Amino acid sequence: MATRLTSCGELAAYRKTVAAKRDPNRTCVTVCGGTGCRACQGLDVAAAFRQAFQEHALEGKVDLRVTGCLGFCEHGPVVTLRPKGLIYVKVTAADAKEIVEKTLLKGEEMERLFIKDPQTKKRLRTREEIPFYKHQMPVIFGANFDLDPQSIDDYLYVGGYTALVKALTTMTPELVIDEVTKSGLRGRGGAGFPTGTKWASCRKVESNGKYIVCNADEGDPGAYANRSLMEGNPHSVLEGMIIASYAIGAHEGFIYVRAEYPLAVELLAKAIEDARALGLLGKNILGTGHSFDLEINRGGGAFVCGESTALMASIEGRAGEPRAKHIHMVERGLWDRPTVLNNVETWSNIPLIVNRGSQWFTAIGTGDVSKTPWGGSKGTKIFSLVGKVNNTGLVEVPMGATLRQIIYDIGGGIKGGKKFKGVQTGGPSGGILGVQHLDLPIDYDQLVEVGSMMGSGGMIVMDEDTCMVDFARYFLAFLEDESCGKCTPCREGVVQMRQLLEQIGAGKATMAHLDLLQDLAEVVRDASLCQLGVTAPNPVLTTLAYFREEYEAHIRNGKCPAGVCKALVSYLIDAEKCNGCTMCARNCPSGAIEGDKKQPHKIVLEKCSKCGICYEVCKFHAVARN
Amino acid sequence: MVKLVINGKEITTEKENTVLEVARAAGIDIPTLCSHESLPPYGSCRFCIVEVNQRGRTRMQTSCTLPVAEGMEIKTHSERVMKIRRILVELMLARCPESEVLRNMAREIGVPHCRFERVRGDKSLCHTCQACTLVEQMPMHAPAEVPSTFVGRSGCILCGMCVRLCDDVMKIGALGFEGRGMRRRVTTPFREPSEFCITCGACTSICPTGAIELLRVRPQEPLPIPSEFELGLANRKPIHLPFPQAVPRVPVIDPATCVNFMTGGCKVCEDNCQVQAIDHTQQDRIQEVDVGTVIVATGFKTFDPKRTPYYGYGVFPNVYTALEVERLVNASGPTGGEVTLRDGRAPKSIGIIHCVGSRDNKTNRWCSRVCCMYSLKLAHLLKEHTEAELYNFYIDMRTPGKSYDEFYGKLLEERVHFIRGRVGEVTDWAMTPEEEGKLVIRVEDTLAGFVRRIPVDMVVLSTGLEPQADAQEVRRLFNMSCGSEGFFLERHPKLAPVNTFTDGVFLAGACQGPRDIPDTVAQAGAAAAEAMVLIDKGYVEQEPNTAYILEQECSGCKSCIPLCPYTAIAFDEAKQKAVINEALCKGCGTCVASCPSGSIAQRLFEDDEVFSEIKGVLAYE
Repeated sequence: MATRLTSCGELAAYRKTVAAKRDPNRTCVTVCGGTGCRACQGLDVAAAFRQAFQEHALEGKVDLRVTGCLGFCEHGPVVTLRPKGLIYVKVTAADAKEIVEKTLLKGEEMERLFIKDPQTKKRLRTREEIPFYKHQMPVIFGANFDLDPQSIDDYLYVGGYTALVKALTTMTPELVIDEVTKSGLRGRGGAGFPTGTKWASCRKVESNGKYIVCNADEGDPGAYANRSLMEGNPHSVLEGMIIASYAIGAHEGFIYVRAEYPLAVELLAKAIEDARALGLLGKNILGTGHSFDLEINRGGGAFVCGESTALMASIEGRAGEPRAKHIHMVERGLWDRPTVLNNVETWSNIPLIVNRGSQWFTAIGTGDVSKTPWGGSKGTKIFSLVGKVNNTGLVEVPMGATLRQIIYDIGGGIKGGKKFKGVQTGGPSGGILGVQHLDLPIDYDQLVEVGSMMGSGGMIVMDEDTCMVDFARYFLAFLEDESCGKCTPCREGVVQMRQLLEQIGAGKATMAHLDLLQDLAEVVRDASLCQLGVTAPNPVLTTLAYFREEYEAHIRNGKCPAGVCKALVSYLIDAEKCNGCTMCARNCPSGAIEGDKKQPHKIVLEKCSKCGICYEVCKFHAVARN
Repeated sequence: MVKLVINGKEITTEKENTVLEVARAAGIDIPTLCSHESLPPYGSCRFCIVEVNQRGRTRMQTSCTLPVAEGMEIKTHSERVMKIRRILVELMLARCPESEVLRNMAREIGVPHCRFERVRGDKSLCHTCQACTLVEQMPMHAPAEVPSTFVGRSGCILCGMCVRLCDDVMKIGALGFEGRGMRRRVTTPFREPSEFCITCGACTSICPTGAIELLRVRPQEPLPIPSEFELGLANRKPIHLPFPQAVPRVPVIDPATCVNFMTGGCKVCEDNCQVQAIDHTQQDRIQEVDVGTVIVATGFKTFDPKRTPYYGYGVFPNVYTALEVERLVNASGPTGGEVTLRDGRAPKSIGIIHCVGSRDNKTNRWCSRVCCMYSLKLAHLLKEHTEAELYNFYIDMRTPGKSYDEFYGKLLEERVHFIRGRVGEVTDWAMTPEEEGKLVIRVEDTLAGFVRRIPVDMVVLSTGLEPQADAQEVRRLFNMSCGSEGFFLERHPKLAPVNTFTDGVFLAGACQGPRDIPDTVAQAGAAAAEAMVLIDKGYVEQEPNTAYILEQECSGCKSCIPLCPYTAIAFDEAKQKAVINEALCKGCGTCVASCPSGSIAQRLFEDDEVFSEIKGVLAYE
């Protein structure tokens, strides 16, 4: 580790020494060390590579790099080979040895480890060939391929902290803010407030101290883009925050990470330590006279602490409860001082904007931000594409990409060849959109117009086997647990909505209940104190709007079309189709199927738990679901 | 100056108010549950929500937290607002169906019934930690069952006013919220009895539904603050009007019990005072005033009947002093004029015992002069206020004064029983069935000639008058004397009842001896007249036989100064010599005789004058 750098010139020199030690043409094996791949024993794969290198005396000749998340999470552990750019998926530790012997030493490409195109059945070798990667625009996320998140040298090598130098030495704080405003960057946390405008308001306020805060609470179930950014490229977040501190005139910052992300905390802490050691954080950064330092605050397990006022209350040591926002955070935030709070992804965008300029940014996305940043949605957005798609993972697309592009082109379509039914965008507070919205360009305003929201970028895809009533109930149950309980409509209303949905799912509701549900949802939306409550009814309102037939089927016909609501589902064996193979009886967990071999089987309804396993395993389609 | 429109009415306001304050001031009623003028706005109940149109945008905002702004258009009862309020009431009724506050609100805004069910727990969320079973009032349940979701203490509508009051205003913080969402409830940290709670009761007084039991917060009865004026028969607050006839008729704050002095918080009185007359930072001021005359009117003390334990005061609950009964019969007293026993029953018989602490070798030897008359007065009033049999136990009936004896006669006609005899004891030990549950007065009826036991419900002790407890200290301050009983000594009992031996210091009232109001008023006039004579005349006529200091001879030993009975000698620090105030000197000669260096001489008694007199006497031989 080098000693503290005290000038930009020294940083430039240091960067040169780092570059001098690297050969861009040298073979490099990267193993994805994101949480998803770790869960699939990705680190064992890396260890196996290390061992294989040792055995074949390749140390010093081939690099091994454990990176952050590469986004292709359905198919991890993911290994890439440079400089060819080959991508091997679902690699095991045993495969590692083989890869070294075959691909590294002999140059043989291992077909079986390439991903197979589900339609053409062809094997796809590189990012340029794989549709999942081809259709993305990974200007932020792409850096994960080149970075060991624990190495600040890696970050410097790919041009990290050049934006910081540029800002500190060639731009005034006002110019920085101006550039960010002109770029049209809007908050990636979900509300989409123009970042530059926020910074400008904060800069104006006179105070004896200002704060920069990073919201890394990412509480939405199914969203993990922020986590992967922190785990893959923590320095990009830091760089963004340091630039902002210069622009606004703040000297202290906090990163509020949810406690459920221990790896992110660890990697951020290491990054902060390394940055401090090099002199990029702390007093008199690079001799420019600007000082800024950061601290990590861990959350306590509350979704509501993703809300800005609740987050700040939590940092201050109080209970995470929001307050009315007549006075904005930029005027009086943390400890009543001006505070800028931005999302992890927003911070990662800042170095790019400073380096490449606002014009580059405005060229990506929708709308026209020349007069006001509210006029469009610019830049890219990282989405966590999960649910019933073939390629679950993290995808980065320009604003304005359509749902169809994301789900089908990138996501590879619905798993098991089933039918697309709906997609939830924006986490539990987001709405559920249907088939009619597949060609909707994704941007802040369009999503709000149809009753959903961008949120943190969670995108949960559903197929014909998802019951919308049950889906809405599930998210309301989540929100019921996470509501802070301060205001009446959220605390009581969310629970009552959940109860109404349960009654509908149990077949005990009437059409009057549906009207009550609609009214209640509107009241909760209009009367709640913070966005948790305001957006909590979104699942209800959107499903009522776009999937009303499903509700009515539950109520009027007592049926659950997706076959999920157990009270309304019954399974029956068609004696004519059944050939007595006993597959269902053997798999039934409740022992509810009777029948002798080669004889038509029967389901004993009293014992049946409606799990649907018989339906799944019968190859003869003899089990009918009502 | 901010101009805005509320319900079509244009309103101008100068101060930085919230929409709620401005609306209420304009007579528009907006319902609230969690708002209070002593508390900072919170915005949790959402009932005060209004429709706000500003700069072309309409949004729903809580009026209690929304500051007024120029050009706002507010609708407080639009259809959208009413829909919200109705559903909110229904939601709250699902939580606390018995709450009167909510039912009234439901009636007012037209909610006929609640369409929501009481909340059931969500099985999928139960992780059988059994935390819910640890809360009082929650039934124990087997882990497999669905736990009923917390709904807080019955009646608690989670408005949070108690928490905010205790925390923000009183600055104690004994109450807080626990739990999230439906599990939210008001409790103490870890649900344990609070050691911080000062049992001020602010939370119980602000709670709109009476859901707080102070004993649950702190399991000890709050210490009441007994009212001094009501002699402990009633309680008062730290801020109180001492008594209705107080001059000036202004409340005072008792720093020993006021919460502001304890924690720096509260000040609810200051916030509510319309004319900003309250200032908690006031300090005692010591003022020095130069005067030429002093009238001492420091009054008396009532005899403490605990010194006569055989009368049962402080032991039997229904033994009262006469002064306490004065408060009971008074319409502005603690019972509003109802004379009742401690348990609220009306007494059927009352015994008034004269000469408690008077005419008594064991306590005070003197007659307190006023007790017979006030005992007769009380007997008369008690006869009016109750249906009780009255008994007066006296030694002599002392009724000097205009119409006093006639009053005594009237009472004899009113069938008050007068028994001549000093009461021996008051006991609750019953010897016959009629005496059960009563207080028995044992007395020798000297006119009848035998000892009687008279059972009564209530005993009144006519306590006598005594000098004040600090009479000795006060008399030293003014260089006065006290008589053998402890009352201040007048110069002459017949010819100078308002003067003391020190010129310029006068006496008035009961500090000089027991007396009633007419006599006190007369004496006060006399003392004032004497004082005014001195002031008016502007000079004092003295006997010429005053002493004086021979300055060159005086060595400054100060031995003469404490000897002067009239504090006429002072010490001049600059000259380091004694100085005699001729106005005070009475010519007693003590200092002359005591001066070790012979530096004090007395006029008319100088050595050569004395020798001349001797020579004159001897010349006759």
